[in-house]
Amino acid sequence: MNIRLKKSSKFFIVLFASLLIGIANAAIYYSMTAQPSLSIIAAKVVFVAGNDFPSGSSVGDNSTWVYLALKGYPNTTLTYDQPLNISNTDSASHTFRLRHVAISPASGQPQVSNFTALNFLVQNTAGVSQGSFNYTTTGTTWTTPTTMSPMTLPAGESWIIFAQTVTAPSANDVTATIQIAVDVV
Amino acid sequence: MLPELLAMISSDLFLVLSLLTCLLDEKVPKALPYIFQIAALSGFGHLVVSRLFMTEFDETMRYWYNVFYLGIALTSIVAVNIYLATSKENWTLAKVWSGAVTFPTMIISVLSVYSFGYLQGAILPPLLPPMLLAFTCIMLTVTVGVLLGPRFFDKSREVRN
Repeated sequence: MNIRLKKSSKFFIVLFASLLIGIANAAIYYSMTAQPSLSIIAAKVVFVAGNDFPSGSSVGDNSTWVYLALKGYPNTTLTYDQPLNISNTDSASHTFRLRHVAISPASGQPQVSNFTALNFLVQNTAGVSQGSFNYTTTGTTWTTPTTMSPMTLPAGESWIIFAQTVTAPSANDVTATIQIAVDVV
Repeated sequence: MLPELLAMISSDLFLVLSLLTCLLDEKVPKALPYIFQIAALSGFGHLVVSRLFMTEFDETMRYWYNVFYLGIALTSIVAVNIYLATSKENWTLAKVWSGAVTFPTMIISVLSVYSFGYLQGAILPPLLPPMLLAFTCIMLTVTVGVLLGPRFFDKSREVRN
């Protein structure tokens, strides 16, 4: 049987196939051009050693991490007014928050009872508290703080991280290591 | 701009050729629109392969095989133009084809190839821009030659008489 297509039908078939091929080509080309790129830039929010920067502490490379060696004496509340500053070097404001990551000795270890509280306070340039981040103990169990609400650090400003250690009367030669993340948005 | 843009232009040229030859099916072989559709589809395959091996194939290699595919598309356009002018001796249609399809396509293709080479810096060999310019001039001459073909002079004489 000889099937004859009318010219218009043939044209519409070719046109439809052309549209499909053209769209598929454009989609493939677009997917090639939409490749993600990654650029590494210097951190805009950095740590800066404060006036009370404890001895034995260090600010890491690129000022993106810091090791704070805070001390405590038995049955004493020891306050560091300005151990550390958090500085916004950008021309735009940035939001940040403190988030608990890890602590040792872990809950359940007998050494935990040497500590009563470890408090951190974020203060603005004028010394007004913007939020607190407190670790407390009950027996040998730590109560870790919840993630702070985001705080907006204005462009070019430095805020203070205030720290306080409170130890038990029986505390004796023990070290606690706390890892805190600063999330910058 | 990626070199694959040239392949996409070439594939679109094949699609246009397919549609035009479908409209002119009494003057060209019946299978021609489908052959051009297959050629356009091969352009799609070409783009897929380029995408899959984007990291393995360097840019110079990708540029040259895309230029080659564009060359095939342009050759097809010129071939259809010559076929219309010689086999069917349809000068009017050949003139229209050269003015409306061949010449604009050549100009756009040369500009695309040249601007890609310009954007990418050292990718073009030093002889390519003059070669492209010469090719454009030749095509312009051929197109004008077709436009001012024997029938044109015959018609001019007829008007004068």
